[in-house]
Order: sequence, then C-alpha cells, then structure tokens
Amino acid sequence: MTSDQTDSSTPVEAPDDLSGTIWSEVDRALSGVTVRPERGVIDLIVHIPADEVIGGLRRLKTDETLDFNYLRCLTAVDLEADGMDVVYHLYSTNKKHNLTVKARLGNDNLRLDTATTVWKAANWLERETAEMFGIRFNGHPDPRTLLMPEDMTDTFPLRKSHPLQEIEILQGEGMGYPEEGE
Amino acid sequence: MVASRETYGTEFETQDLLLNVGPQHPSTHGVFRMVLQVDGEVVKDVIPHIGYLHRGAEKLCETMDFRQGIGFMDRTEYLAAFNAELSYVMAVEALADIEVPERAQWIRMILCELNRLSSHFMFMGAFGIDVGVFATPFIYAWKEREQILDLFEEVAGDRMMYAYFRPGGLAWDVPHNFKARVREVLKSTRIGINDFDGLLTKDEIFRTRTQGVGVISAEEAIEWGMSGPSIRASGVPMDVRKDEPYLFYDQIDFNVASRTEGDVYARYSCRMEEMWESVRIIEQCLEKMPDYGPIMPEKMPRMLRTPPGEVYIRTEAPRGEYGIYMVSQGGNRPYRLKVRSACLSNLQALKDMSVNQYVADAIIVLGSIDIVLSEVDR
Amino acid sequence: MAVTPDIAPVATTDAPDIPSTPDVVEPATIPLVEPTIPVVPGEHPNEAPRLTPVELVPGKALYKQALPGVMQVPLDLVLAASRKSSLWPMTFGLACCAIEMIGTYMAHYDLDRFGIVPWPSPRQSDVMIVAGTVTKKMAPAVKLLYEQMPNPKWVISMGACATNGGPYTRYDRVLQGVDKVIPVDVYVPGCPPRPEALIDSFIALQEIIMEERKTTGA
Repeated sequence: MTSDQTDSSTPVEAPDDLSGTIWSEVDRALSGVTVRPERGVIDLIVHIPADEVIGGLRRLKTDETLDFNYLRCLTAVDLEADGMDVVYHLYSTNKKHNLTVKARLGNDNLRLDTATTVWKAANWLERETAEMFGIRFNGHPDPRTLLMPEDMTDTFPLRKSHPLQEIEILQGEGMGYPEEGE
Repeated sequence: MVASRETYGTEFETQDLLLNVGPQHPSTHGVFRMVLQVDGEVVKDVIPHIGYLHRGAEKLCETMDFRQGIGFMDRTEYLAAFNAELSYVMAVEALADIEVPERAQWIRMILCELNRLSSHFMFMGAFGIDVGVFATPFIYAWKEREQILDLFEEVAGDRMMYAYFRPGGLAWDVPHNFKARVREVLKSTRIGINDFDGLLTKDEIFRTRTQGVGVISAEEAIEWGMSGPSIRASGVPMDVRKDEPYLFYDQIDFNVASRTEGDVYARYSCRMEEMWESVRIIEQCLEKMPDYGPIMPEKMPRMLRTPPGEVYIRTEAPRGEYGIYMVSQGGNRPYRLKVRSACLSNLQALKDMSVNQYVADAIIVLGSIDIVLSEVDR
Repeated sequence: MAVTPDIAPVATTDAPDIPSTPDVVEPATIPLVEPTIPVVPGEHPNEAPRLTPVELVPGKALYKQALPGVMQVPLDLVLAASRKSSLWPMTFGLACCAIEMIGTYMAHYDLDRFGIVPWPSPRQSDVMIVAGTVTKKMAPAVKLLYEQMPNPKWVISMGACATNGGPYTRYDRVLQGVDKVIPVDVYVPGCPPRPEALIDSFIALQEIIMEERKTTGA
C-alpha cells in the first residue's frame, strides 16, 4: 500500500482508495467539519484544521457507531517550513478500530485548544508536547514542564532547529579532531 | 477504617504536611519523585515529578540509521528490551514493506514471551520489597531471571541490551540446541512460578495489605489511557495480542488474564496469570516453529531506505501498550520517532488511585503499576 | 637454709629455697629474699613458681614473650583493612545499570561475601555507586547525596553514561559524566557492565583503599 506524502506542496493529490476503512462513518460523524482523508500504511488518517479539531474529536468520541473512547497517543511533528502537525491516535475499546487525526499549525501561530476536555489522558501528553515543541495548549489545567528541569524552558529540544551538541564541545580537549596545519 | 477529622473533631488545629518521596528512595523504581500532601497518615494529594531520566532517545534516533536506532530502543525499556525492539523493527518493516520469513517470526515470538517472563519476575521481586517482604522474593525472582538471561546471552550475546532484531528478521541464527535449551529453562521456570505462587499469593498479610487498595474503575482507566495488566485488572480485557494480532499470535491459543476488582491484588494476580500464559505460548511456539529456514529475506539492501509515509505500530509489552509512531520522508533515518510509552499513561492515574489511603498504600500502588523510568522519561 | 645472696637480674630458674614449715611459723625466721624484679610477696608457700618472673630472652620483643597470642600491627593497616572489607554502598541506581547492579547483589554473583551490603540511607554508607545516566535535572540531587555521606567515602562510576555521557553524549540535557559534579575513584566501562566487571571494580577499590592509607590520614 502506498501513502501520499503529507506535504501541502503537491497541488493535486490522487484520491486514495478508501474502501475497507471506516471513512464513511467518520465522514458522517464529522459532517460540517472540513475534513480530508488519507490512507495510511495501517490506519486511516484524517486532516482537520486547527480551529475545528477539538470539536471534531469530541464528536468522534461521542458518536455511537465510532465510539473512540481511548486516546492512544498525542504528539507533534515538526515540518520545518510548513509548520507543525499535531497528531492524535484514537482507538475504540468496544469496536476495536483506529483512527489518526492530524491538525496543522502554522509556524507563526503555535496555539491549539486542549484536548483534556475530551479525554483525561491528554493531560501529560500535551504537557510533554508543549515543552518539546513550544506549542501552547489553551486551557490546559496544569501547564508545567514535565520532563525538562523547571529552569530550562527557553529552548525546545525536538524542533528541527535545535541542534545536537558536538562531541568536541562537550568532552573538552582531547576529543577534538587535529587542527589544520598541526 | 481511615482516620479522619470527623473522628476526633475540629478542636485541634492541624496542617497538612508535604512529604517528599524520592528521587532517591529505596522503594521507587528508579528516579521518580512524588510529593505527598498528607493529613496525619492519610494521603490527600499526590504530585508526581518525572523527567530525572530524560535522555532524548527520540531526538537522537532522528540522526541514527534504522539499524543504529535499535540500540536506543533497548535502553528505553531495559527490562523488556525485545518487545521494544520488536515495535521499532515492525515499524520499519511496515514502512518499507519487507516480508519477514516465518522462522524469524516464531523465534521473535519466543524471545518476546521469555522477556515478558523475566520482566514479570523482576516485578514480583520489586513488588515484594514494596509490600515489606524485604529480600526473599527478590532473590527467588532473580534466580529464575538469571536462567532466562543465560539463555539470552547464548542467543543474542548480551544479558540486557540485545540489539538482536533487524528490519527483516534477526541478526544471526539461534544456536542449534535452541529448542532444547528453551525447554530446559521452562522446566525450571515452572517450578519458580510455583514457588512464588506459594510464597505470596495466599499469604494472609499480603492479602490484607493489597486487597481493596488502589482501586480504579474501568471507565476511569479508559479515560486515563492505561494499558496492560493495570487496565486488565479493572475489567477491561484489552490486549493488543488478541485485538490486533501481530507476529503469529492469531495461531496460538491463549487466554487474556483479566480481573474485575481493579485493586493492587488484582494487578498482581493478573501478572501471575500472565506468566503461566506465557509459558503456554512458548510451548506452543516450540511445537510450531520450523527447524530450518531463512531468518532474513533474500535481498536486503545494505543501506535500508524507506519510502515516505508514517505508521503507528503497537505491541503488547509487559507493562502495557508500547507504540512506535514513525514518520519517514524517504532516506535511511526516521524523520520523527515517537515512543508511546505505557508507563507514562499508567502513571497519570496515580493520583486517582492513591488519594484517601495511607502513605504505605501509596507506595504499593506505585509498585503495582510497575513503572520503568526510562520508558516514562525516554 | 643457705640462700645465694647474689641473684642475677635475669635468669635463675632455681626457686628460692622454701623453708620447711614448722607448726608455728614465726615471720622473723623466714629469711627475706630481696628480688631484683619486684615480686608480690606471697602468702602461700606453693605460690613461688607462680610468682617467678618470666625468663626473658634478650633480643626478642617483650610483649611477645610475656603475652603470646597477641599481634601487633600498624594502626593504619587495621583501619584500611576493616574499611575495605565492609564497604556499604548506597543504593543509587538511576537507569539500566541499576538492574545489573541489583543482579550483582543477588545470589548468583554474590556481593555479600565481600562484606558489601546495600544500604538505602546516605548517612550510613561508604560508597556511592552512580549507576546510570545523570541528567541535568538530577545533578543537584546527586551532589546533595554525596555531601550527606560521611567521610571516608568513595564513588564508583558504573557504566558508560556515568563516565562520560555514554550513548546519550550528544543530548544537551544529559550531564556528560558524573565526574563533572563529584569526584570519582573507579570508573567501570560497559553498557551495562557485566556483574563480574562490577565485582572487579570493588576489588580495585579495595586495593585503592589499602594503597592510600599511607598518604591520607587514617
């Protein structure tokens, strides 16, 4: 199975073959919300704009046929110039199907509403995403740092612009490469 | 009976005490710090602080080849390293559409289930220490664990950090006496599990200590996103091996251990039953495993590249659902690797489970969730 | 009874002659012998062999002849030997190396035979085994625990992460080696080091303790 690249630079995307997935029920549950489907390697991926994503998630949770009552994972992907994608992986314990929901944020507006109103499991996951990427979740009940020390909140490690240290700087002399002309 | 202000009235002017547990403490499983707000001996609030072992495995894997990243996944979950490697390797195989030979899948299954056994033995020992039985179950548990680790050393070369799975199969073939060795290890493991059952399960003090403590209901557990034995003890029989079978779990006959009470004793007995189920699974795998066959597909490229795409693979680690979310944009390294750790999600529910109990109960609730800090912090 | 008046300061094995005891003994009739080594005057006539001073051989130490069964050793040797035989490490397992450290304490690779007993409190322990990666969030706690240990104390840095950052050496939230905050005596390489390597490090630490007794104060 192939999957399209999640890059908005392709002007025309070939429509994926969505038969056999739950797209029809998802489409019905999310009527009124701009939604763009895509077929992933295993699951169905659904793109929702950032300002409508929390309403969409709530509808996906409360709908009876879909019943996505379990939030598996919440994370973000840094696509350097195109912004950041916040990714939600949903699962239903009764119906046993999966869905991936993605919301694109622009680099100048890294703000999103919190999903803790929908599932409590989003609490720590959003704290971690916020401190790793610099995304602010509005309305989060506990916006402290999770994994970073409290006084090191000025840099965001998982952004692509944050470099890894060079070994020579860290280890001091003796580890560097020989200088030119030595 | 929990003593509270109602029993002695409000003549005394009391104040809640903030008690700091950790990060170095004999009964926390790694560097974990929790601040308990106690009123007398009753816990009113729990504020966990994590991050003392945040080592940046996700960031470092973005600069590593698909084969170099396997070593980092080992160190993320060091007690169940085969399960962690399996998720990563399955993600790469799903992205690159690689077909794994049958014999390699069976060997992977056997090694993952043996790893589940050794991890649960470690839980039994450490949980015994938390409850108060200081050293005896721990030493018994390690005696069994050493047998399994000896077998792993013969197969993969290391006791804990294996780096044995590769995208497509295994790094090298198992020794020729693998089946006989596994049967030998299983023989002594059965005696070991029996010993443990006799030591702790029916013990009166153990039961009084652990029954009715740290209860969480099924709806709350699903809300918090718990997984693994911690949620199966609350009445939700969620197991990735049955719901979305991977490897050859759909050809094997086993039960999902599940209880309904949701307390500490239920989690303990879920894990005990899972150990027996693992022994059954390994025996069935040994019957069905072919004796000869390839362990890697025919044409594996030297530099493994994957087409662009993303995948979320979940497997059942001993602690819960270990998921790998991998985004690739072509090339030979992942663009973004996210480790969905079971222990992080299980630990969110700690406050709900330990409020209005004694301090000693909060310790055993933490022990029963069975966290491994390097998975929480990555 | 004739008594030889000149008794040499060392040597006579002859007991002074015992006067025969009449029924009534008059003290004045018993000749007093002036010993050169003061002897407690006895009351019973059979005490003489017991009260005879020791025959001392010139050239041998006095205490060895007078008190056989007592050994004299230098004090710093005793202190160093007792310290090295009873090292109590503080349980400070941080990460994966902690599991190998626990495995070394257990029955298969027993550390108790060396006198090494894991002890959770820093106030009563001698050695701190830093087993695992030290992150920058954890570094103040490491320093505090080191300062809480009483002297004499030693530090074993176990594993590659505690030595210089290990596999996580390029991440900036990881302390590149615990010797950036506390002084380390023994480094154990490995990821994780085998239990035999940890036992080897304890033996090396014991040799260090015996060596440094001459230079540092006991």
